Amino acid sequence: MEIICIVCPNGCRLEVSGEGENLQITGNLCPKGVDFAKAELTAPMRSLTTTVATVFPAFPRLPVKTRGEIPKGKMLELMTKIRTIVVDNPKKVGDIILPDVFGTEIVATAELAI
Amino acid sequence: MTDKQIDFTQSVSADGAVKLNSFTAEKSYDILVLGGGPAGLAAAVSAHESGAAVLLIERERKLGGILKQCVHDGFGLLRFKERLTGPEYAQREIERFIATEIPYVLESFVVDISHNADGNYTVCTQSAAGMKSYSCKAIILACGCRERTSRQVFIHGQRPAGIFSAGTAQYFVNIQGTMPTKRCVILGSGDIGLIMARRLTLEGASVAGVYEIKDMPAGLSRNISQCLNDFGVPLHLSTTVTEVFGTERVEAVAVEKVDERMNPIPGTREVIECDALILSVGLLPEIELANVLKIPIDPATKGPLVDQSLMTQAAGVFACGNVLHVNDLADWVSVSGETAGHGAAAYCRTPRAFSQSAVRLEYSKGDFLYALPQYLDPAASEPLTLFFRSRADVKGKTITLSLGGEKAAFSKKYRRLIPSEMEAVPVKALSFGDRAQYSIEMR
Amino acid sequence: MGGIATKKLSSLQNILTRKYPGVECSEFGDSIRLEGTLDDWETIVRCGKFAAKGGFRAVINDVKLKDFTAPPMRTPAVKDSALHGLTPDVLVIGGGVIGCSIARELSRWQLKVLLVDKEDDVAMHASSRNDGMIHPGIASHPGTLRGEYNVRGNAMYTQICKDLSVPFERWGNLILYREHRFGAAARFLFAYREKALGVPGKHLNRRQLEAVEPNITKEAVGAFEFPSSGILSPYKLTVALAENAVENGVQISLNTVVTGMDTEHGAITAVHTNRGTVRPRAVVNAAGCFCDSVADMAGDRFFSIHPRKGECCILDKDAGPLSQRSMGLIGLAAAFSASKGGGIMRTIDGNVLVGPDAYEQPLREDFSTHKDHMDMVMDKHLPLINGFNRGQVVAYFAGVRAPTYEEEFIIEGSARVQNLVHAAGIQSPGLASAPAIAEEIAKLTLGRLGGKILPNERFNPVRNASPVMSKLSLSQKQELITKNPEYGVVVCRCEGISKGEIRAAARSPLPATGLDAVKRRVRPGMGRCQGGFCSPLVAEILQEEGVETITKKGAGSELFVGNLGQEVRSDD
Repeated sequence: MEIICIVCPNGCRLEVSGEGENLQITGNLCPKGVDFAKAELTAPMRSLTTTVATVFPAFPRLPVKTRGEIPKGKMLELMTKIRTIVVDNPKKVGDIILPDVFGTEIVATAELAI
Repeated sequence: MTDKQIDFTQSVSADGAVKLNSFTAEKSYDILVLGGGPAGLAAAVSAHESGAAVLLIERERKLGGILKQCVHDGFGLLRFKERLTGPEYAQREIERFIATEIPYVLESFVVDISHNADGNYTVCTQSAAGMKSYSCKAIILACGCRERTSRQVFIHGQRPAGIFSAGTAQYFVNIQGTMPTKRCVILGSGDIGLIMARRLTLEGASVAGVYEIKDMPAGLSRNISQCLNDFGVPLHLSTTVTEVFGTERVEAVAVEKVDERMNPIPGTREVIECDALILSVGLLPEIELANVLKIPIDPATKGPLVDQSLMTQAAGVFACGNVLHVNDLADWVSVSGETAGHGAAAYCRTPRAFSQSAVRLEYSKGDFLYALPQYLDPAASEPLTLFFRSRADVKGKTITLSLGGEKAAFSKKYRRLIPSEMEAVPVKALSFGDRAQYSIEMR
Repeated sequence: MGGIATKKLSSLQNILTRKYPGVECSEFGDSIRLEGTLDDWETIVRCGKFAAKGGFRAVINDVKLKDFTAPPMRTPAVKDSALHGLTPDVLVIGGGVIGCSIARELSRWQLKVLLVDKEDDVAMHASSRNDGMIHPGIASHPGTLRGEYNVRGNAMYTQICKDLSVPFERWGNLILYREHRFGAAARFLFAYREKALGVPGKHLNRRQLEAVEPNITKEAVGAFEFPSSGILSPYKLTVALAENAVENGVQISLNTVVTGMDTEHGAITAVHTNRGTVRPRAVVNAAGCFCDSVADMAGDRFFSIHPRKGECCILDKDAGPLSQRSMGLIGLAAAFSASKGGGIMRTIDGNVLVGPDAYEQPLREDFSTHKDHMDMVMDKHLPLINGFNRGQVVAYFAGVRAPTYEEEFIIEGSARVQNLVHAAGIQSPGLASAPAIAEEIAKLTLGRLGGKILPNERFNPVRNASPVMSKLSLSQKQELITKNPEYGVVVCRCEGISKGEIRAAARSPLPATGLDAVKRRVRPGMGRCQGGFCSPLVAEILQEEGVETITKKGAGSELFVGNLGQEVRSDD
């Protein structure tokens, strides 16, 4: 089976064969591809990027992301949580917007300067 | 607002009127950088570091260009060895730029450029502070690209609300926080369209499908995987939208399969209910300012023809980023900005005309969509970074760059080359033999 | 009288029975009414046109198309009583270039004038969907209303456009031909018309043609040139007429559709709308494609409209400088036909308009475009100029003309209804004729109102137009920005339109409330990006100006389905 590695823009087409200890992964340009394929087969993870509401009319949405990755299946659930947030004070890149979600946190990815 | 941003509001009097007597001639600079996205920011910084006096002119309210609305990640892996979002990437470039204290103006729109008898340029801008003119030795065009429209792909039917280009939809969602659709069809598999398929799905809309007229996707493979496959959005190749229905707002679109000559195949028509059609049908360099100066354009890249310092055929005018050609990664945009910045600074020290002896790049149009820089000036010292896109999806091909008939300046066997993914070939040392020749080959 | 009419009727019926089996004709007042069912629309139109030669006043064509039910007229969603109880002196139905010209003309008098249009803005149908050409008048036969009003209207445009600050140029037009045979034959025709109509014109041979149009291809061997031919933006003109009418006291009510009328003793006593019942002293029918329905509501049914559609495309400004004049290539048959067959014209904004074509179809407000028509339009006209190509297309659109079966204007007071005046059957050259039609309709309306009507001494023909940055000199721009810095902020990068200009459109006497309305007034979104960059910014300005829901063209065409975070997932 083929998995497209999404770690970097190279987008390596990983060919996966075998199972368990006989798992064979080819087509990767770097070792990250092997880790990615293994994770995809067991517990696929994704980072989530989106925006949150602010109270500032000139800057109505603040871009945010998960600092680490979350289980792929949890993205829509996390979106529901993120939708409830309204930012009401200035932020810097990396400021925590929502702590402790699926083992990571939501951080600002842009500066919100008023 | 930072210290170095030129503060036009200083001249506002008590009654609120801006006091300016007439058209103001501003201070002159070595280099004017037109555009404050990743290309312009990198160009300004590198020109400044090479000793030039630089002013950056940005037409929008904020620096950062289109990256401001690209909230997704995947930027910066080459430049910062990190996976950044668009705003984060922009922020790093902006911080570097601000630290140099290069002056810049915002919400200033270039309305005219003229080439003076003394070889300098005059750039006229319009802003809330009035009409201003700046004179400079060199100009760096860093004005990015724009999206092709529904009209340019000849979509017919009615003209209701709900037909948006993907970038416009992205602005609505990510900057304004408005939702342009509940259920949409996306035409074109360009990266912005794929990104928007995921973005809209995350925000609760349903994406009925992505339709691509060609037999292969236009966007990066990783985006097909993480934006469509992850969310179960189907991709239909060799299929296109042929008609739009709805008088006030989009009610449905018709899609049809196409043959190898992209003509609709009778009997394959299907009508899909939706409230929006989102187009991701390609980007075009925004060459309006190049046209003002009548700079020759490469029909393949749709951007100016340049030499390895990214100087156009107008002496002293450089182009970088997406105005030069549409890049697949912001990282390459920054790299080309640096090249243009260095080149323009060198030009200011030693002005030169576009070399008569510059050698035109030769390549087979059957193998390559495009390749650039289109000219190599043997006299120019800059190292060369060659960019190309393959015309077809090919495997196991070797790309060979030859200069002056010498042995290959670069040769590499690629596992796979696809049109949607741009390749960059850095060549450190330029050594020409006795023959003026510059070509790439695919074997 | 009865005997002659009966004979005319029976001879017409005889031919109809032979040529169009199933079609029955009967007298309807002075008109002839056709009924029955036919298989295709073109035959129905041909049948109507044939009957128009039967010597009756007009044709009412009620022949039905098999398996087709005409969709009802699109009507605005709003329902209120905003107009209820109003008693204007004159109610003008229709806010196209004709209705707006009439309203402005009536505002020269001390009259309460109300103009209603069912759309979200004026100029929403044919008046924004045509080529903007102010025809010289040469295409019509002398003695026709179309010819007469065209020539008169054309002459009036220089002053009107000056008063209204509407850009207008007499670049002239060329009627091109590809066969010398045609040139020789047409010379007599045009010489006759020039003299009879008073239209200046001259013949150009190939060499002279090349001298004035250096990019012309070998398609044409010669041309007839008519220098009085002009170009303007038909929707800018219509908006300007409406704005000046409002400045002079006319009330314009948009999103207002006439749903019925009450008549008593041969006069309209009440006009019902979705916004209440109005009791005007006189009514002007300027309802474009629906003017026959309006006549019917008033009990004055005597003609039919057969919607004739046309499709055009617009080329990028890069193509603009390649041709100077409007031009079209015609064969001999076209010289005598109802429509002029389209062509290419440099628009007043510097683009090139290609088209329109002309085809009969039953829908009165279907503005869809089609690949085959666009291909035909481009194949026909693009080869005329070296340097034109399909890659230059930035936009395309369709419009529907409103001809009668007589292919003639109806500019008259109603024969049956004392307080009704018709400006009906207005098709090409309706735009060129509009000022002359308005003058005549105003005269007729005053006559129907009766009594002594005093001139409006405060009437000012000059519109208080907002500044257009692109038309100003550097120092004028500087001065304007100094007064209002928003004129310095460029919102539309393709057309160089400032925030100040967009705000002015939202605050004008006839305020723009949707994206298309702003576009018609000041052009953001008409450039290369077709609104990709600027539409979010225009939306922001409209919101600042108090427009709560951003639409493209009124209710139903909302741009957004909601804000982020609201539940938007659809049911499926």
